[in-house]
Amino acid sequence: MSKIIAIARKDIKIRFSGKTELLFFLFLPLIFTLLLSGVLFGGGVNKIVMVVVDEDNSDISGKLVSLLQSSEAVAPSVLAQEKAQETFDNRDAAAILIIPSGMESSLKAGQTVSLDFTLDPSNNNGLAVQQEVQKAIGQISRSLAVANASTREAEQIQPFTDATQRQAYYDQSLATGQQMFDTAPVRIVITQPENAAEIQSQKETQAAQASAGQLIIWVFIPLLGTSELMAYERVWGTLRRLVTTPTRKPTFLLGTITGQLSSGLVQMLMLVVIGVVLLKVPWGQNPLALLLLLISFGLASVAMGTMLGTFTRTPSQANGLSISLGMVMGLLGGCMFPLEMFPPAVANVAKILPTTWAMMGMTQLTMYNAGLLQILPYAAVLLGFSVVFFIVGIWRFRYE
Amino acid sequence: MSPILEVQNLVKKFGDLTAVDGVSFDIQEGEVFSLLGPNGAGKTTTISMLSCLLEPTSGDAVIAGHSVTRDALEVKGVIGVVPQEIALYEELSARENLTFWGQMYGLGGNALKTRVNEVLEQIGLVDRAKDKIKTYSGGMKRRVNIGVGLLHKPRLLFMDEPTVGIDPQSRRSILDSVKDLNKAGMTVLYTTHYMEEAEELSHRVGIVDQGKMIAIGTQKELTQLVGENETLRLHTGENVDVQPLMDALKELPYVIHVSASDNMVVLIVPEADDALPPVLGKADRLGYKIRSVDIQEPNLEAVFLKLTGKALRD
Amino acid sequence: MKKILQIGWKDLRVIFRDRAALILMLLAPFAMTVGMGLVTGALSSSGGGLSQVPVVVVNLDQSTLGNALVEVLKSPELSKLLVVEENNDVTAARALLDADQTAAVVIIPVGFTASVIPQDGQAISADAQIEIYKNPSRTISTGVVQSIVESFLNEVETGRIGGQVAVAQLLASGLVPQQQAVQVGMQIGTRLANERGNLQTLILNTRQASVSEAPSFLMYIAPGFALLFLMYTVSLGGKTLLTERQEGTLTRLMTTPTGPSQVLVGKMAGTYMLGLAQMTILITASALLLGLRWGDPLAMVILLLTTVAAATGWGMLLAAFSRTPGQVSSIGMAMTLLFGLVGGSFFGGVMPGVIGYIGMLTPNYWGQKGFNTLANGGNMQDLLPVYAATLVMAAILLVISIFIFRRKGLLQK
Repeated sequence: MSKIIAIARKDIKIRFSGKTELLFFLFLPLIFTLLLSGVLFGGGVNKIVMVVVDEDNSDISGKLVSLLQSSEAVAPSVLAQEKAQETFDNRDAAAILIIPSGMESSLKAGQTVSLDFTLDPSNNNGLAVQQEVQKAIGQISRSLAVANASTREAEQIQPFTDATQRQAYYDQSLATGQQMFDTAPVRIVITQPENAAEIQSQKETQAAQASAGQLIIWVFIPLLGTSELMAYERVWGTLRRLVTTPTRKPTFLLGTITGQLSSGLVQMLMLVVIGVVLLKVPWGQNPLALLLLLISFGLASVAMGTMLGTFTRTPSQANGLSISLGMVMGLLGGCMFPLEMFPPAVANVAKILPTTWAMMGMTQLTMYNAGLLQILPYAAVLLGFSVVFFIVGIWRFRYE
Repeated sequence: MSPILEVQNLVKKFGDLTAVDGVSFDIQEGEVFSLLGPNGAGKTTTISMLSCLLEPTSGDAVIAGHSVTRDALEVKGVIGVVPQEIALYEELSARENLTFWGQMYGLGGNALKTRVNEVLEQIGLVDRAKDKIKTYSGGMKRRVNIGVGLLHKPRLLFMDEPTVGIDPQSRRSILDSVKDLNKAGMTVLYTTHYMEEAEELSHRVGIVDQGKMIAIGTQKELTQLVGENETLRLHTGENVDVQPLMDALKELPYVIHVSASDNMVVLIVPEADDALPPVLGKADRLGYKIRSVDIQEPNLEAVFLKLTGKALRD
Repeated sequence: MKKILQIGWKDLRVIFRDRAALILMLLAPFAMTVGMGLVTGALSSSGGGLSQVPVVVVNLDQSTLGNALVEVLKSPELSKLLVVEENNDVTAARALLDADQTAAVVIIPVGFTASVIPQDGQAISADAQIEIYKNPSRTISTGVVQSIVESFLNEVETGRIGGQVAVAQLLASGLVPQQQAVQVGMQIGTRLANERGNLQTLILNTRQASVSEAPSFLMYIAPGFALLFLMYTVSLGGKTLLTERQEGTLTRLMTTPTGPSQVLVGKMAGTYMLGLAQMTILITASALLLGLRWGDPLAMVILLLTTVAAATGWGMLLAAFSRTPGQVSSIGMAMTLLFGLVGGSFFGGVMPGVIGYIGMLTPNYWGQKGFNTLANGGNMQDLLPVYAATLVMAAILLVISIFIFRRKGLLQK
């Protein structure tokens, strides 16, 4: 046991002997998490972007825009025609909505107004935007629609004598209609699972996703770097020397794993605390479940790093592969870009990656307030990964 | 008294290549035994097998009663290893390195602390104990490298070419350390391709070439193998083309062997005193200026040459 | 001049032989591009973005409005967006969502239609609410489903209130006598129900931008990741200066008839050529393997030349400030990631808000802007600001680097 601890301590000392290690251990993860959560400088990277050109600048157009802004799915950007078109052409927006000038006055005069809405066909988000816009325009124009209908019904029975009479009938209908809408019963109720955490807003969701996603990536990469550590020990000759001591192979491996896992856990806990304190992410609701998930993820990562170490020959090869694999697996696991938005085929294939399961488990923790029982399946899969990777790594392990 | 090390027909093959071909020898407790041979002779492979780093293809070795093939863990507890390369953690200090390796040898607590201090004293690095290895000179690193091998007071110390590529001062220091260790009772298996080291340090020498042990014995016994031939060294000075001289000297009937190295021509002759005048005469006639002459009694270099037909340092 | 190129060329060869360096220079950016293409759907024929959102509908109403809502959800217009499954069992449906198998469960309660439209002369029954049981981890998806249902309810309500207002007004104006109120009300109600969509006074005139105009998302991502790892590459180049100093080959170089300036410029040239080689290989590979085309080739070549120059400036600056090769490696990697983040390399675009402005300090930002412009049919003229910015960046940084190198006497002793 003391040998295992001695090896772990040695590895940790070596890792943190350089001053720049803190950069990757704490500062960069912190910066990335803050920037991507939208807490610093805004950002809403996850909402679907659309552009709106408001040529009317009226009360009604203003109401329409603010309805869209309060949406959970879209992030409207109000721009001038040219800039809006450029943004849309540059593929920076999924759709462009043009509110023509004179809309309010036309509507008030009982006319029908048409809004030009252009979709980007290669981007399915356009359809989602369309639904949001449909809802918004339905909502602002409903009183007008009612007034219109009422006036039409009257006209069918007996035409109005003049425009003034018509206008008066229309205004009365409008007022009545508005009053009825104001007192109309609420016909929809939104609920979520009982145990779901109190996350309501898109901003909070994004913060939770950023906190979890960045935690996974910034911990995964150095733990994959177990491979680099092993390569260095080969290059330095210390691994060879270790074999000449009465230290068994399992002891060496356990010591290495313990060292890596400990520093990985400390890092994860630090990032969790940052998430709680700075981003108000509800990590702490079920500490046991959290710990279980973190440990199983840490083990899977170290195991993969150990396995990787048996395939790489030099430290720089190991380093390059750790970073590349870590980033790609983080991306495909939903750590940078929400799993929700993946094409279904890709989302399914991504399930072969440990990062995906870690991300799903953390989502359960932060959004569903998951307890130990709910986390078990995710932890089990991650532990399964660990077992497989460790078996391969240990079987292939050579001192030379 | 039974030997502390008994090597029995060790063979190591790497695919088609036979690196060690049936090597057998033994070492008595308290002696310094050198394995002398050129690069690629199989010395490091042999030591690797004895250190339980490599599994022998066939054969065995018994160290202090334990077999390297069956009781590896016990063997490792009684041997100390000083590898050729500096196998230390550069980012850690000397003290931290010694402490860690001591722990790997099963030492701990106050006993470990005491032992680390003793070793630091022994290698003369108490003052720099807290500095990172990467700040050390080459010689200092070598000393720590040796120190690690001594931590657990092994019964048998393996030193694999410890002086390769270092400055004369450090080399001197290492050779003196080996002698001191041996005086204090340490048994040492020392591999080298430097004849002078083998001659200076060893009680007995085993000469290896191409994986085979071609001769074992004390220096006296070995030099007797070459008979009484002596070595004549003619120092010609720098930038001199000695080839014509060598060709001419080869023609002389009593010249057994001619070679050149380090600004000199080396001749093996039965009697140096008799050979010298005609040799010098020949050199003079060919226009060579001989700056100085050495006469050498038979040595291991000559032994090697006789046994293998090539120089130790070709 | 010749020596400068020789020094540079030697560095290029040395690094290209290092397979490990090639992993991060070439493999990683390409793998990330493909990965990003996969997750955004840019590589698949179905396109990217939100699609096939799984929704479960429990229609306990089984009457006019309930059925109508189900029809809306299952309509062809929404078929790409939603994958709708009907279920009779509320508990089972909820369980599906709890297991994260679906994005939302829409529960239409018993008597919903009756609570909106009077049935067979009876009064409207008690309020019944449609429940949307939403998946908290899929906020965008559930947001859209919610909007669709709310849109539907809006129409329904508009129809209902429209009918009531119409009748009330008719009664108030005396156009219809009291006794006929109910009958007229039903007629109006039916008429409005049938014209449901036409009640709207605000109509969305939807069209799709023509496909050929829109470049694939990959056109932005591929250069993005190439630019991300460009910073890594130029840090490698700068590192050689410090490595050579450590290993003694720099001193050896100085013993040859080669001036310090030649050595320094040679190193810069090597770094530049390395960056250029990397970008060229990646862009060419993207063009060949992913079928991407950035339009005007000459404009792109100049873009590469100027962007790499700016990146080289940063690489040299880093080397100038660092003391050991290890420092260059670590800080270089940190810079690679940070520049990539603020420069928009991870998303193939500009970061929003203040981050975007900070990003202007990076070659990533300008390179990305250049490629995006080209992807949208821009030409050399459009790229002039990008060229100017990168060249200015390169000049300033290289001058500062030279100054620092000289002051540190890095090329002496």
